[in-house]
Amino acid sequence: MSNVAGKAQALNVWTPTRRKGIENRIIFWVLPRFFKKKLRGLQTLSLIHYARWVIIAPKDFPNLGEGQPTEELRHHYECFLSNFNGNWDQYIDSFSMSLGTGLDMLWFKNVGFPNSVPIEPFHAYINANSIPTDHYYSAYPLAASNDVKAAQRVRDSLVTLAGSASGMSPKQFRQAYDDTIRKHQDDISRLDESVIVSLATEAVQNQARQEAF
Amino acid sequence: MTTFEIRSGVDLHDVQGNIIKGYGRYGFPVARYVTYRINAAVAGRTFIKLLVPMLTTSVPWSESGVVEEGTKQPPSTTNVALTYEGLRRLGVPERSLLSFPDEFVMGMRARASILGDVGASAPKNWDPVWQTEDGQQPVHLLVTINAESSDALAQRYEEVGLAARAANDVAGDSAGVQQLAGHRSAGGADAAFQDGAALRDEHGTPGPKEHFGYTDGISDPYYKDSGSRSSNVIGGGKRLRDSSPATDAGWAPLATGELLLGHTDEALEYPAAPVPSTLSKNGTYLVYRKLHQNVATFDRYAASEAAKLSMEENLFRAKLVGRWPNGAPLASFPTEAEANAFNAKLEQAKADRFDETATPTQRAAATERHLELKEQQSGFDYREDIAGESCPVGAHSRRANPRGSLEFGQDHAFSTPGALVNRRRIARRGLPYGDSSDRSVDNGDHGIIFMAIGASINRQFEFVQQQWMNFGNDFRLGNDQDALLASWPDEDIDPLRARMTFEVDPDGMEVPKICTGIPQFVETRGGDYFFVPSLTALSAIARGAVDPT
Ligand code: HEM
Repeated sequence: MSNVAGKAQALNVWTPTRRKGIENRIIFWVLPRFFKKKLRGLQTLSLIHYARWVIIAPKDFPNLGEGQPTEELRHHYECFLSNFNGNWDQYIDSFSMSLGTGLDMLWFKNVGFPNSVPIEPFHAYINANSIPTDHYYSAYPLAASNDVKAAQRVRDSLVTLAGSASGMSPKQFRQAYDDTIRKHQDDISRLDESVIVSLATEAVQNQARQEAF
Repeated sequence: MTTFEIRSGVDLHDVQGNIIKGYGRYGFPVARYVTYRINAAVAGRTFIKLLVPMLTTSVPWSESGVVEEGTKQPPSTTNVALTYEGLRRLGVPERSLLSFPDEFVMGMRARASILGDVGASAPKNWDPVWQTEDGQQPVHLLVTINAESSDALAQRYEEVGLAARAANDVAGDSAGVQQLAGHRSAGGADAAFQDGAALRDEHGTPGPKEHFGYTDGISDPYYKDSGSRSSNVIGGGKRLRDSSPATDAGWAPLATGELLLGHTDEALEYPAAPVPSTLSKNGTYLVYRKLHQNVATFDRYAASEAAKLSMEENLFRAKLVGRWPNGAPLASFPTEAEANAFNAKLEQAKADRFDETATPTQRAAATERHLELKEQQSGFDYREDIAGESCPVGAHSRRANPRGSLEFGQDHAFSTPGALVNRRRIARRGLPYGDSSDRSVDNGDHGIIFMAIGASINRQFEFVQQQWMNFGNDFRLGNDQDALLASWPDEDIDPLRARMTFEVDPDGMEVPKICTGIPQFVETRGGDYFFVPSLTALSAIARGAVDPT
C-alpha cells in the first residue's frame, strides 16, 4: 500500500458538500469559462500531473447488493483526485499558496472546509478526508508530467526533422538540427529517478528491493 | 478571507543578533564556531545562564549613542544555539520536546537522503566532530562568535571558555559541558573549533568573495519589523505584481513569521512552534553546514568547458551562478562590459563613502550613491528573461530564489508572482573558512560554513536544497541539478548526467550551450540543525523553568 508510484504521488479526498446539484452544475460550468484566471495556476504548477474534481450524487453511489446495507446519504460528495510530484506537505503548500481563491470556490460549501489559507487548518482538512490508495501504477516511473509533455514535443520535432532530412544538404541539416535544439533547449534535460522526498517511501522501496533478491 | 494578522513589532532585544544581522556585512570578518557536548544538565544550564549576558541581540547598531537609535557596535558578537539532543539533555520537558518538528528532532545526519548528502558528501565522510557512536546527535550546543579582529575573537573565545569552566565548577563535574574537538582544519582533523573568515584581497583587506571567486552575501531576505534599512526591501522582500523590481514599490516585506516563531507568517498564521510559547517566541532555526569547495576542479572545469563551448571564461562562470563574479546580476547586466562598468561605479561610491579625507557633505552624497547602486545589485527579477537567455533558468541564484519567475511568464497564473517562492526564503548567515591560495589542489582546507536561518527547516532550507538544488522539475528542467552543488553517489557517475543548459533567445539564431560532465565541486563535511532560542527562552532553559502545562 503506497500513495507513491515513480515520480507521482496520489491523493484522493472525499468530502460531503452542502451544494445542491444545480449549484454544482453552475460552479463547474462557470469556473472554467469565466474564472479561468483563477485556475490558470493549475496548469502552471510544475508539480501537478493532473487534478480533477467530481461530484457524486447520493443516488449514484453504487450498491453492490450481496447484503451491502442501503445508506441514507444526505449530501452530495465531492471527490478530488490528484497526482503530483514531491511530498504531500510540499504539494498542499504549493496548492494553497498559488491557487488559494480558486480552491476556495471549488470546495465552497463543503462540510467543514476551512478555506485554503491559513494553511494548517487546510492541511488538517485534506488529511482528515483523504483515502489511501490501494493500487497505484506509473507507466513512466522516471517521468513527471513536465517530462512527458517535453518528450512529446521533442518527438514531434524529431519525426519532422527525420522526415525532411534525406533531401537536405549537410549545411541545411546543420541549420535544421540547430533550430530543433534551440526550440527544445529546455525539453532535453536529464531524466532520472526522483529525488527522495520522503524517508518513509525510501524505506518501503529499499525493503521491496531487498525482497526482490 | 479571514485575516489573523495582529499588528505588532518585534522585541529586538529578545531576538539573538545572528538571526537578523549578517555579521559579515557589518565589518566582522572573523568568526569561530565552538561545539559542546552536555554531559550534566546542571552544568549545561549554568553555562547558558553565564552566556546570556554575553549574547548579542538584534537591536540595531548606531554610532550616535542615542538609546532609541540602537546600541553601540561591540568588537565581537556571541550567540548560542541548541540541537534537539542538547535541549533534551538540558532537561527541557518531554512535552516541549515532542512539539518540535520532525526534521529538527532527527537532525541533519538522519536527513542525508532528503538533502542529497551521498557519495563524498555522505555523513561517514564528515568531520570527526559530527560523527556519532550511539546514534544520538554528538553536538548539543553551538556558540558562534564573530569579531572585528583576531584579538577580539580570541578574547571572546577565552571568556566563553571561562564560562564553561565556571559552569563545570558549579556542577562539580569537570566534563559537565565538554568542548568537542574534531573539526578538520589546515592543521589536521582535530581542531578544537571551526574558524571562519572573510577572504582577503591582494591588499589584505577582507571582502565579500568566496573560494570559487564570486562575490557572495549580496542577496538577503527582508522581513517586516526586522529593524534593517527599509530600502533593503528591494530584491529582499517578496515580489509584487505590476511595479518595477528596481523600485521599492515592486516589493513588500516578507511576513516576520517566515523568520521568527511567534509571529504571523505568509500563510497568515503563527508558524507551527514548540510549546510553551515562551520557549518558541522570537526563536528560530539554524542550519549549520560545512561545505568543502573543490577549487582546483572548479577552476579546471571552468577553463576547459568554457573553451569547449567557445565562451569567455568569465561569462561561463557567471552563467553557473546568475551573477558575474563581481556580483552584478546577469538579468540586469547581460554583458561583461555592462557588469564591469556597473561594478566600477559601485566600488567608487563605496570608496568615496568611506573616504576619511572627504567632507561630511561629500561622504553623505557618496553614501546615497552607494546605497542606490546596491539597490541595483538586488532590484531585479527574471520576468524579462523567462527563457533564460541572460540568466540561465538553472543558474544557482535563480534556482535559490526564482523571484516570481515560476509563473513562467503566465501573468496572473498565481494570486501573486511570488506564490511559490515567498515561503521558501532563507537568510544566509555564514562565512568562508580556510585558504585557497594554492589553486592546484582540491584537498586543502577551504569552503563555506553555510548557515541558513528560518522559521521552518523543512519548508525552507530542505525544500530549496532538495527540490531546487538537487532536482529541476519546478523549473521544467527534469532532473537537472544545480551545477555548483550537485553531489553524486560514488558508484556510477555518468558524465552526461551532470549537465546544465545556457539557454538562448528562442526566436533568435544562436544555439544553446550545454555543459556536460560537471564534476562535484562541493562536498558536505558536517553540520546539524539547531534551535536559536530567544533570550527569554534561554533564561527559562537556564533556570529549568520551561513548563508547557
Ligand atoms: C559552497 C557552496 C555555495 C556557494 C559557493 C554559493 C555561492 C553563491 C553565490 C556566489 C551567490 C550569489 C550572491 C548573492 O546573491 O548573495 C549565491 C546566492 C544564493 N545562494 Fe548560494 N552558494 C552555495 C551554497 C548554497 C546552498 C547550500 C544554498 C541553499 C540550499 C544556497 C542558497 C543561496 C541563496 C538563497 C542565494 C540568494 C539568491 C537570491 O536571493 O537571489 N547557496 N550563492
